[in-house]
Amino acid sequence: MSRRLRGLRRVSQVAFLAAFVALFGFAAYLVSTPVPPDLFLRADPLIAFSAMVSARRLVLPLLWFAIPVVVLSLLFGRAFCGWICPMGTSIDLCERLFHIRGLRPSKAPQWRRLKFYLLIALLLTMLLPAAHKSAEELGISKTVGLSAVYALDPIALLTRTFSLVALPAAQWAIGMVNDSLTAFGYSDFVDRHQWLARVVNPVQMGTNLVARPVYFRLGLFTFLFFGGIVALGRFGRRFWCRNICPLGALLGFLGKVSPLRLAVSEKCTRCMRCVNECKVGAITEDPKKYLGAECIGCYSCIAVCPVSAVSLTAGGADAGRDDALQLDRRRLLQAAGAGVAAVIIPKVDWSAKRAERAATKFSDAKLIRPPGALPEEPFVTACVRCGECMKVCPTNALQPAFGEGGLQALESPVLVPRVGPCSQACNLCGSVCPTRAIEPFTIEEKSYLYLGTAVVDRNMCIAWANDKQCLICDEACSYDAISQKKTGGVGRPVIDERICVGCGLCERACPVQPQGAIHVYASGDKRHLSRREQRDLREQVKQEPVSELPYPNL
Amino acid sequence: MTREEITRREFFKRAAAAGLVAYGAAELSGLDGIPEAEAATPPTIVVASKKKPAELVRAAVDALGGMKKFVKPGDIVVLKPNIAWARKPEQAANTNPEVVAEVVRLCKAAGAREVKVIDHLIDPGEATVLKMSGIGPAAQAAGARVISAGSLAMYQRVSIKRGRTLKTADVLRDLMRADVWINLPIAKVHSGTGVTLGCKNLMGVVWDRGAWHQSASLDQCIADFAVQFRPRLVILDAVRVLLTNGPKGPGKTASPGIVVAGTDPLAVDSFGVTLLGRKPQDIGHIKLAYAAGVGEMRLDRIKVRNV
Repeated sequence: MSRRLRGLRRVSQVAFLAAFVALFGFAAYLVSTPVPPDLFLRADPLIAFSAMVSARRLVLPLLWFAIPVVVLSLLFGRAFCGWICPMGTSIDLCERLFHIRGLRPSKAPQWRRLKFYLLIALLLTMLLPAAHKSAEELGISKTVGLSAVYALDPIALLTRTFSLVALPAAQWAIGMVNDSLTAFGYSDFVDRHQWLARVVNPVQMGTNLVARPVYFRLGLFTFLFFGGIVALGRFGRRFWCRNICPLGALLGFLGKVSPLRLAVSEKCTRCMRCVNECKVGAITEDPKKYLGAECIGCYSCIAVCPVSAVSLTAGGADAGRDDALQLDRRRLLQAAGAGVAAVIIPKVDWSAKRAERAATKFSDAKLIRPPGALPEEPFVTACVRCGECMKVCPTNALQPAFGEGGLQALESPVLVPRVGPCSQACNLCGSVCPTRAIEPFTIEEKSYLYLGTAVVDRNMCIAWANDKQCLICDEACSYDAISQKKTGGVGRPVIDERICVGCGLCERACPVQPQGAIHVYASGDKRHLSRREQRDLREQVKQEPVSELPYPNL
Repeated sequence: MTREEITRREFFKRAAAAGLVAYGAAELSGLDGIPEAEAATPPTIVVASKKKPAELVRAAVDALGGMKKFVKPGDIVVLKPNIAWARKPEQAANTNPEVVAEVVRLCKAAGAREVKVIDHLIDPGEATVLKMSGIGPAAQAAGARVISAGSLAMYQRVSIKRGRTLKTADVLRDLMRADVWINLPIAKVHSGTGVTLGCKNLMGVVWDRGAWHQSASLDQCIADFAVQFRPRLVILDAVRVLLTNGPKGPGKTASPGIVVAGTDPLAVDSFGVTLLGRKPQDIGHIKLAYAAGVGEMRLDRIKVRNV
């Protein structure tokens, strides 16, 4: 039985990776899944812990999914890492694919304690009050942390890699096939051979259905990060899992109470095959001993033992499991220092400097958050940069921040209207955010969730500056915030900033190339107000009620 | 076969002469500003009212001689409704889905090999727009292929031969290759051009619409395009019309419960203008289209058949 465990584990790994990819793919407009599409992110206890501790609030939808993984770890140690984690499986697959074998155990760097120190540092970033009370213009009434968990959490990292790298790449390929088929379908050749059309057209309709080209910035950066994690396998298989992953550290720590033990019988010949085969270097020198907090339960040791000396036992038998973490006090202090630095550095960056007598920072002009987003300080600490919101956004409007909001907002979602506007009929980003950094919202609420305000650049606007018949912005506006001012027989756009929610439909539609003559700025961002307050604000503006007129009675 | 040898000089001479003749002919035949339809018999349009949307369409088309008159068996038919916005049918921003579906059924019944419902959507998120407008599901159920023309590969460059402002346009390949194409606009007011009816609806078959807005005159571009691209049939949806804050709304709507059909695109448009409480001579692009000879705009010269 025990010998079959490795095979079972591989099946489980492939199944969970497939589920991860499927859920990622199905997180899309008009598609519903029986489980939340962000299931893996929600089940990640580190993300749940960070989102609740750093933002100082209880997020039940996260808790319910994270608890099973905690229980799993208490019972089976780091089984999540060996059997479920899609990042671990991806690393395993890449190591196979690229023939990365790692250095021999004796030569591989032994940095396994590093991940615990990193975990300590991350915990500190969650706990430290980074944005403190009283600052009314911050729009928060309590202290929040500045969690850096997004940088190192494996599930967030992998989801981000899928969102920003794998998805655009796949869509590029689908787009190329689709465009080629489309053009081929119109060619004279197909015209002459009608049977070809009957073959090509259904395929083209299929590709056309799934083709939705997406473009993201920071793709290369994200790709190199993931590629680096895989490449580290050169120094030891699953280098990331054994030395860096803070989630692995957390689960290993929880797994110390696990009753599961690997027992080595007297048959052992000290051939050292288990030592060499162990993915995470949990069996160090003596094959009869292993590190409990390191073992990911891959059970390769059982599978490779030529004399079947290794077996799995539950409790009792005093096997050679060593549960001590052996952390060094000096290093612990250094880790704490690193955690403090990780909070201070973004907070003293130039980009965090606030403008005089204004709530906004210098880096905020184009900081347009998706609707439903928390006020900026809780938002940046809750957001794990998984990129799910960017993935589901049907207009490709959400992009990873690079500059907007400063260092602390790196890779968090911002609306870039010129790429795509916030479509009035969509509330997907709020429904897929695992940490509730974007709170769920209804489509009706969108008419008063103010993201920013549009401003017409009258020097660029072809209606204002060149007397052209345009008003495309007025056409495009979903909320009737733009009206026309007729002067000299030409209609020119004027914006009512009380109605404008900053969705960016106008900026996207503006024909002035390349940057448009109407821009959304974060000046109208009203996230610091509650939804009720925002609604009251909106209702102060009397708009003509939309009604059906009797006809003919114009 | 012997070839006539000519000198280079002779070639230039002949070419210049031929060019001059061609230019003169074009100038004369174009009769800039004088409508060609002057001498022709006044166009007839059919106005169907007091029925359900699908019945309105059937009554109007039957009064024009039935769909068989326009669509021959085996034809590939392209329908161009207005599916620009992520709006629901009751907001009257897109063509009524029941009207579109009925035209699809009539084309199918007339023996069309394939019916394609195509538009170049404006609002982002084609799945949203097609679903909200109701046209996606309705036309598909009626047997049409619904195409959102969102990639440049679906357009081809066409020169607008008699265009005054508009010289070239990237036009839908499907439209260029169709045996028959039918324009299915909805009647709405429009912030930029006063109204949007059939001629304005044709902006949805070109790729770069922004260029028209940036040109010297949007109205002239619409007229230029309408000269070259004449639908076999125009079926104007005025079942429900948008009276304020067009073309996208949300605005005040009204329900004339009318479908107008005709083969003279400008006659249908001119009648449509009156449904919105305005006059054809107040609408820039209709005046220009009339001047360019697209059709009749004088209401007293349009024969209206009520059914």
